[in-house]
Parts: sequence; C-alpha cells; structure tokens
Amino acid sequence: MTTGQHTDTLDMMLNMGPQHPATHGVFRMVLALDGEEVVDVIPHIGYLHRGSEKLCEGESYGQVITLFDRMDYVSNINNELAFVRAAERLMDIEVPERASYVRVILAELNRIASHLLFLGTYAIDLGAITPIMYAFRDRERIQALFEATTGARMMHNYLRIGGLKEDTPADFDVRVSELLDQLRAGVDEIDRLLSLNEVFLARTKGVGIIAGPTALACGLSGPSLRGSGVAYDVRKDHPYEVYPYLAFNVPVGSTGDCWDRYYCRLLECRESISMVAQCLEQMEAGPIRAAGRRIARPPRGEVYVHSENPRGDIGVFLVSDGTDKPYRVKVRPPSFCNLVGLKLMMEGAYVGDAVSILGSLDIVLGEVDR
Amino acid sequence: MSSRPAQLVLLAGIAVGVAAVFGGFIAVTRWLGEPQELGALTLVQFAVALLALVTLLAVAGMSLVWLERKELGRMQGRPGPTRVGPFGLLQPVADAGKLLFKEDVAPGEASKLIFFASPLLIMVPGLMVWLTVPLGPTLVVRSLDLGIFFFVSISVLSIVGLVLAGWSSHSKYAVLGGIRAAAQMVSYEIPLIMAVLGVVVLAGSMRFDDVVALQDSAPYIALLPAAFAVFLVAGLAEVGRTPFDIYFAESELVGGPFVEYSGAHWAVMLLAEYLNTFLVGALAALLFLGGWRWPFGDLPFGAAVALMLAKTYLVVAVIFWGRATYPRLRLDQLMGLGWKVLLPLSFASILATAVQRFYGWPAWTLTLLSLALLAVPIALQVRGQGRPASAYAERMRAGAVAVPAAPRPERSAFEQPPEGGEDGA
Amino acid sequence: MSEQEPQAGADKTPAERPARHGPPVAEAPQVLDARGQASAKLLAQAAGAHALASGGGHDTPWVRVASEHLVDVAKRLRDGAFGAQMLHLIAAVDYEERIEVNYLFLSATKGHTGQVKVDVSPDAPELPSLTGLWTAAGWFERETHDLFGVVFEGNPDLSPLLLYEGFEGHPGLRSYPFNDYQEW
Repeated sequence: MTTGQHTDTLDMMLNMGPQHPATHGVFRMVLALDGEEVVDVIPHIGYLHRGSEKLCEGESYGQVITLFDRMDYVSNINNELAFVRAAERLMDIEVPERASYVRVILAELNRIASHLLFLGTYAIDLGAITPIMYAFRDRERIQALFEATTGARMMHNYLRIGGLKEDTPADFDVRVSELLDQLRAGVDEIDRLLSLNEVFLARTKGVGIIAGPTALACGLSGPSLRGSGVAYDVRKDHPYEVYPYLAFNVPVGSTGDCWDRYYCRLLECRESISMVAQCLEQMEAGPIRAAGRRIARPPRGEVYVHSENPRGDIGVFLVSDGTDKPYRVKVRPPSFCNLVGLKLMMEGAYVGDAVSILGSLDIVLGEVDR
Repeated sequence: MSSRPAQLVLLAGIAVGVAAVFGGFIAVTRWLGEPQELGALTLVQFAVALLALVTLLAVAGMSLVWLERKELGRMQGRPGPTRVGPFGLLQPVADAGKLLFKEDVAPGEASKLIFFASPLLIMVPGLMVWLTVPLGPTLVVRSLDLGIFFFVSISVLSIVGLVLAGWSSHSKYAVLGGIRAAAQMVSYEIPLIMAVLGVVVLAGSMRFDDVVALQDSAPYIALLPAAFAVFLVAGLAEVGRTPFDIYFAESELVGGPFVEYSGAHWAVMLLAEYLNTFLVGALAALLFLGGWRWPFGDLPFGAAVALMLAKTYLVVAVIFWGRATYPRLRLDQLMGLGWKVLLPLSFASILATAVQRFYGWPAWTLTLLSLALLAVPIALQVRGQGRPASAYAERMRAGAVAVPAAPRPERSAFEQPPEGGEDGA
Repeated sequence: MSEQEPQAGADKTPAERPARHGPPVAEAPQVLDARGQASAKLLAQAAGAHALASGGGHDTPWVRVASEHLVDVAKRLRDGAFGAQMLHLIAAVDYEERIEVNYLFLSATKGHTGQVKVDVSPDAPELPSLTGLWTAAGWFERETHDLFGVVFEGNPDLSPLLLYEGFEGHPGLRSYPFNDYQEW
C-alpha cells in the first residue's frame, strides 16, 4: 500500500488469558492476529494441574475413585466408570447385571447433563442468553435425582469396584421416567430456539472445519470427531457394560464444522434419553455388588480400558504391583487430545470465530490438566 | 420490605414520583410557550428546560432498565428483579446508586483528560437530540422545522466519544472495541438516514409534528415496510444491541471500549445506551407508527401522550425480545449486512418512494413495491445457503449410524454380597 | 497455621512404603479374547523381527521393541494391515531401573487395539519422536517429557506443558518425593 519502502508489520498478540468468560475454565490462548484474522494460536494449559496421576499412587483403589470424579468434573460417573472397569478387568470381576444397568442409567443421565451444560455455555458464548437458563433448569433436575441416588449433586463417589455403593432409592424408576419426559421437552425447546437460528448458523456453519483423517491423526474423539464424519463411538465399537443390549443411533456429521459438532451433541441427548428408557424396561432386581474383598488388591499386571465420556474417548492405563495401591495410573483425557486439533481448526478463522471453535470442542480443564 | 402496606405505600410513592417528573416536564413546556413559535430561549428558560428534560430522561432510562430485566427474566423462565421495591421497580435506582458510590478508577497509563471526558462525549449528543423529539402533541422543548435533520446530524457525534473512550483506556481490548464500534456505527448510519429520508420524501416535511399529522390515513409502516425494517435493523446496530453488540460482547472483548470504566462514568455510558434505545423506539413510533394520532386521530392530551408512549415502549419491548433470542453476529457478517444488504435496500426504497410521488400512483403501489424490495434480500439469502437450514438437521438425523440391540444372555446366578460391607478405606 | 505431624512412612516414596494389607498377590492371567488374538496377529506382523517379547490380555496385545526400531514399527502399524489411524496414548511407567514407555494404537475403522512397549534407561532417557506420523504425539510426548524427563528427538516443542517454567525435577518419577512441594 505504500510506495517505495516495504513496511514491516507485526502481528498483534491477543491474550485470551486464564481469566476470560469464554475459555471454559483456566485456559490461556495466545492469538497472533493479522488484523481480524487469526494467524497462529498458542494454547497454554496446566493452570489446573493437581498431580492427580501421582496422587493415585498413594491412595487405595477406593480412594482413587474420588480422584477420578474430579478430573472431568462435569461427567463424574463416566470417569468413575472408566477406572472401576479397569480395576475390574484386572481382577477379573464380573459385575452383577442390575449394577451394570444402574451404572449405564447414571452414565447416560450424566452425559445428558454434560451436553446440556455444553448447549447452554456454547449459546451464551455466541451471545444467545436464553438457552443457558433452560439448559441449567434441566440440569438441576438431573442433579436432584443424582443427589437422591448417590448422595451428591456432582462428586458422586458412587461406583465401586464390583458394582455400586448402595442400591437406588425406592422411587428411582418413577423419578427417572418423569425426568425423561421433562428432559425430552427441554432438549426440544433448546433445539427450536437455537439450532436453525439464522444468526447461530452464520456463526457456526463453515467455521472451524477439520477433515476426518486429520482429526483421527490429531487424536480427536467423541462428538468432536463424529462431527467430521468418522463414525467411531466406543459404545458401538468396543461395547461395555450393558450397551450391547441397547439399541441406539450414533449421530455423525458430514462437514466437520462447529455446527455439526454442536448438533451431534444435541442428537446424542435424545439418544441417551432413549437408552435410559430402555434400561428402565430391562432392569430387574438383584444384587448390586459382586462378592469379594472390600479392600481391592488386584494381581500384578497392567490393563488398558477405554470408554465413551461425553467429551470423547477416556482411557485408563492401570499398572498394579499387587498391593492395595495402584503402581501407575495414566489417564487419556479426551479434552486434552481434542485440544491438539484446535490449531488446525483455527486456520483462516477470525477473532470472533476463536470463541466459537473453542466452545465447540467442549473442553473441561480439570481433565486436560488433571 | 415484605409487609403489604409498606409495599403499597412504596408503589404509590413511585407512581407519584414519576407523575411529578412527567407533570413537571409538561408544566415547563407550557411555561416556555408554543414550541413551534419559540424564538431563542433566555438563560433561565434554558436552565429550567434542561433540568426538566434531563430528569425526565433519567426516569425514562431507568424505566427501560427495569423493563429489560423483567422482560428478559420472564423469557428465561425466571421472575427478574422482585426484591428492591414492589415488583422490583426500585432496582434501577439501586443500580444507579451502586454505580455512583463505586470507586472511579482509571488505568495508570490512560490519558486522564480524554478518559474522563469520553463519557460526556457519548452522553451529550444523545441528550441534545431530545430537545426536538416530541413525546406528545406539544410535549417538546422546541419543535424545529428541521427536526429530523437535527436528529440525524447530532446523533452521529457520539461515535467520536466511543472511539476516544476505547483509545484513551490504553488496553488492547478497548482499542479493538473502539475501532469496531466506529466501523459498525459509521456503516449503519447511511441506511438509517436513507430510511428516515424515505419518510421525509413521503411527508414533504422534516418536522416531527407534520410527519405525525400526515399519517392519519395510513401509518408509514404500511406504506414503507422495507424502510421500517431497515430503520429497525440499523437502529439496533446504532445502539449496539444484540445481534449487533459484538464490539462490547462479554464473551469476546469483555466490554470493548467500556472495559476500563467503573463507577459514575460507567453509569453515564450505560444510561446513554438506554437513552439511545428509547430514542430508536420513539423515532420508530413517530416516523412509522403514526405517533400520537393514528388510528384515533385527534385525542385529548393525556390519551395522545399515553398512545405515543405505548407505541414507543412496544418497539423497545421488541428490541429487548431480540436480545433474549438471538446470538450475536460476527463483525464481518455485521458489516456485510450493513453495506451489502441494508444500503442498497434503503437506496432502492427512496427511489421507489420518489417514483411513486412523481407519478402520483396510489398508496398501495408503494406498499407493493416496498414489499417486493424487502423480498429480494430474503430470497437471495435463502438461495445463497444452498438448501433450507432444516435440511442440515434432517441430513444429520438420517446419517446417524444405527446400533441394534443384541439379545440379552441368561441371568447368571450371583452370591449375595456380605451384609454391611465397608468400602475400601 | 501449624504443620501437621507427618504420618509414619509419609516421607517415603510409594515403592518404599510397606503395603498396608497383606503381601502382594500373584500375576494376573493374561488371556486374549477373539478380537485381541486378531489384533495380536496384525501387531506381530507389523513388528516383524523387531519384537523382543509379546503378550497381552483381553483385547489389547502388546509387543516390546527396542527404541531404534520404534518409528519403523509405528509406521508399519499405521500404513499396514493394522491400520492404526489413532495414536491413543503414550504412557510412561517408572520401574526404577528402567522407564517403560507404552504406546497405544487404535484403528477406528477396524477396531484393533495394540500396545508397543519401549524401555529407556533413566540416565539417558531418549526416544525418537512420532510427531511425523501422528499430530497427537506432540502433546503426549511433551507431557511425558515434563513429568518423566524423557527426551523425544524430533519433537518441535518440548517446553513444559502441565508444569510451570522453572519447576525443578520430574514429578512423575517414583524417586520424586511424594509429600514435598515447591513454591513458585
């Protein structure tokens, strides 16, 4: 634009710091901007690193369950499930059928709660201030049910190696059926308000596209991967608990943009509701914990188990030295792996898209940092 | 504050207070004389008029704060303010009081003079416009022959204040916000002015009273729906309301040009935003909805003022409704909307008005022309998307991978767990 | 704020502490199921002559290779019949006299899971990086370097990921004191 001399321009570094309303936790993102376009993104994590994996080495197996509760603090039952399945596989314990059904019911309700949180916070990141109220209203209902069943709204500490801590309350089935009706209506309300809204489509369609093979190479999983067209779901490909006996659909996107990832999660809410209904039909009375010693001392060895967290594929690599404390616990956190794809998704994006793309990955910093 | 008699007393007090402010303004305008024939004001007249007007606008701004919080609350499934005064009516007073008592800090590196002067630069043009915008048949300080021209030229001045507010805050977020605000406001001024110009062409006069009087047969919204649409959208963008509030969006630029302000200066800028919203509502009522006359014609003074205020608050309520519903547009999408859609539409609207006037066609031809013009960008938008939006959702639902249920195995026999088993530590 | 009395044995590393309840029990039986056996065949095929040992249970077979053959085997896993599109996890385990780095590979379309173990010595923990094959390796290796001190040659950025700049030591190792803390 100037005649003669070449002017050097510096990219402006914009720090979306650890304290920011749209970064979903203590996450720092340094954007290099060329005007309005994002040239580079440097994520900084570790603000919530608590050394959970090392802490596991000093706690007995029952205590480790509480640590897993706090890693992805939004989907607690799913985290607990990953760990207890690893220990059970190592000890070759078969879980009673009723316990398995209750685990799946709670895990799917937890999935709905987590996705409702995503729907609400994603909408408010983009400026729509109403869906978050509807989403949290329904989330409160789920958490009230959890409080009645497990004793806590969030950090449940309910699953045990071999089954559950205690049986469900007497009115559990009735409460869950009522809850499912309310959740169906709630999810439909958010869908009607948000999904096909012109402005919402303008903000999410065609934004943050990542192709399927690239996503796999980056290690993405869960709805972030399924939005790109890869039909990989651990509940379908490596089924566990009672998932083989449930019929459900796995929503798969086609473009790999933010809207596809968002809509995958919304459809998954509906699928989870139908799965819980099926579980209620198939569940029967019975024992809720396998017989065995209460202090778990798995034999020496190692095991790797992975299951479907609301955010993706959570894996637990458990090494036991035969004592009552694990020798090594390594977690594969889905949000950590999803963040690797952030830089590729932001190519050619604007500053306004940065918030949209980060929101669509649905990360939880507790599990990114552990 | 929960006893019934106390609530009723407070409610009565609020009603009396608002009526007093309003009545004071009416009295002052009567005292000044006929607004159409007014010459220059003396200093005393000027001071009293200013006081009455500013008080009235402060009350109006506070009523908008209350209305927004109640309306948004109800739409979100919650009651809104209920504690401070009956029905939360004193909430704006509490907010104003809180802001005034807050510590007024400026960033260390900010240029203090401009930093503290910018709120004034934003507020004063917004107040000046109200000298000539009427709220009733003679309820205005001065009814100018060039009333609409005055409004258009003075309201632009507040953009300077916004940019200076951002620049003087010495913060990257503020600078970005200020620049974005300037770009947004400048781009939407032209469609706004063109839409208003269409009304002027129809009315043949720039005086607000004439425009209202000429809408007896049909309000201009019926004759110029495209211009009304442009006016409303451009007005939203001028005020900085969702879906056009990206320059101070909380989740992105956390306050934009206002991020470093606190206390009384922040209160001034917040009030300026609400006054601008009230202005857009009042102008929409005057220019397009028939003001205090349509559909009843000549009304007694009180009823006319009530009708005008009802129309104003109706438009304001629709603006708040939009805030509850829509996400916000990205800046380049916003600019694209202003330059590529609203600008050509507003120019075409004026052309259509002029042609209809020149050839003396009947009024309904103008309505048809205007609706046809409005349909063009809508059709282009639908075509440009490639397919209706619902097809995206259908495709994803249809493309889901179905996982069938396997038959359940026989229930294996389990031994009962030991009673009262304690958990592992 | 008085400090609490440390519990008996609290300052020892987990390896030094006696188990609280009884002696360690025997090895877990490692039996591969049908899917695991299919994966084991493909894994052995990819490892070829480089496989030093093999084993595995349920659906996850493992094979041990030397560090110089790691990239070769990984490439064959990705491009060959195994079809490992995802590098699922890099897990380092500190066995005092060696650090064992486990690589977990997954084929999303075919459903195979496979594990590759590599031993490095704690005095010179170096391994070639897999970032050329999978982008996911970047952050996994960065975290392993942060917590265990393993250096991955070829990784473009090994700066601290979870810990802050200036942290001393590698807290993932068993030798790192369990109840110690550093102040920033």
